[in-house]
Amino acid sequence: MQNAKDSFYVALRARLAAINPERTILMRGTLRPGILVEEAEAPFSQLPNDVFVLRWLGLGADLDLGSTMAAGECEFAYQTCGTQSFGGLDRGRSLTGMDEELIAIMQPFSTPKLNYTKTPPATMLTQVFWDEPGFGPVVVQRDRLSRSAKVMVYSYEEQGSRWR
Amino acid sequence: MAVNWFSAPAPVARRVRGYFAPVNRVAQMPVLFDAAEQGGFNLDAPPAPWISLGWIQGFVRKPQSKTAPVLTGIPAGTLEQVRETIEAQVSFEFLSWTKLTMALSTGSQHMNLLAAASGTALAADGAQAIAAVTVESGSTSTFVALATEDAAIFTPGSIIALDIDYTGQTGYVGTPISGAYLRQPLTDVDYIRRVTFNVALVAQVSSTGLTLAGPLPGGAPVAGVKLQSITGFVDREGGSFYQEWSALFVMEGNQGDRIFFHYPRLQAMASAEEVGLPLDNKHKGGPERVLLKGKFLALPVIDPLDGERVLCYRSFLPAVKALV
Repeated sequence: MQNAKDSFYVALRARLAAINPERTILMRGTLRPGILVEEAEAPFSQLPNDVFVLRWLGLGADLDLGSTMAAGECEFAYQTCGTQSFGGLDRGRSLTGMDEELIAIMQPFSTPKLNYTKTPPATMLTQVFWDEPGFGPVVVQRDRLSRSAKVMVYSYEEQGSRWR
Repeated sequence: MAVNWFSAPAPVARRVRGYFAPVNRVAQMPVLFDAAEQGGFNLDAPPAPWISLGWIQGFVRKPQSKTAPVLTGIPAGTLEQVRETIEAQVSFEFLSWTKLTMALSTGSQHMNLLAAASGTALAADGAQAIAAVTVESGSTSTFVALATEDAAIFTPGSIIALDIDYTGQTGYVGTPISGAYLRQPLTDVDYIRRVTFNVALVAQVSSTGLTLAGPLPGGAPVAGVKLQSITGFVDREGGSFYQEWSALFVMEGNQGDRIFFHYPRLQAMASAEEVGLPLDNKHKGGPERVLLKGKFLALPVIDPLDGERVLCYRSFLPAVKALV
């Protein structure tokens, strides 16, 4: 499943960079597209604003198929306080913008699976695919609006690999 | 040795896409789909003359062919089977209302509501229309050339219908898509434009003509074609005409595999019907999306490969490097 998780994240990161190159985050001195995997970063005391934080939750497997299918539940957490130039009064618009970006980067609903432990990454035989996201309600904390969305991500295990 | 193949489970598809192409009713020629040559087409840009009707839902194929045993012996046992009848039905719901989806889902003629001339008598399928204007040469499937004074009649957002005048023809009418069958002559000069499928939305108007938002289903207008504004569409419960179209349904699997269901001849077999789909399943009394319900009967064609009579072709293009 790790290759599927990596491929899913890298595909969405590339799509986000294409549709909104201005959504970025400075991480460890590097400017990156504004989407990151929580489990691959140092622990946050508080989630960064205006960035999609991808979090892996549940896991399931169907072993009765010709190729084992793994399903991982992925949560996107994101929040915003709006922009300083508008004194935060645009925080609703900012959150709506992030909602729209998340819907946009989800499509198409599949991407080739690559093995990112190789250099260069090796294309595998199958595609990672996922469902439409389910959005949670907006949570208001003072001047901060946050939301999470969940999506199930599926992947087949190629012959000769184990949970890849 | 690295394994360079995988065992693909059953395809997982999100939805079904529908494409239709007009059967040449006069020549009784359906449109054929060749999955070997055309199977990799861009689902958003189907090969001509297929017209995309977008996503459909509730796609159900119902084979109704009947077989019977040939019995022999005492007590009788089945020696072999014979196919007594071949029949298949298809049903689904369209997720949009357009000229074509309405026409396909109704059991009979589907008509355009021509913009009515002022002061004319009321009629359930459209009153006497404003006089048609003549299409000039130089038109294409997305641009209708008009004289300057004729172009000035239209505005962006107008819906138009193009076809020839009715001059007493009988049989199938409408070019190149048959919209009705006339057993006896009529007197309405606009009749063919009432039933034509050659309709489009006007995107821009200039002194030389109309730029259309999408291509005309019938392609570039032919000589003698005239143009009228329409306000909408109407169909009727009853009548004797059956729509007949070639149909193609595509399920795209998430591994790049594709399943095609190609019905060379499909006729609507039920009258117009709508299905309400609540936008919020938890609020049944709330707003509903009104879907067009389509139910079709597949008619046979002779497969030139071996002379067999068939109703449908099911093709499967496996995923790359999947075991077959």
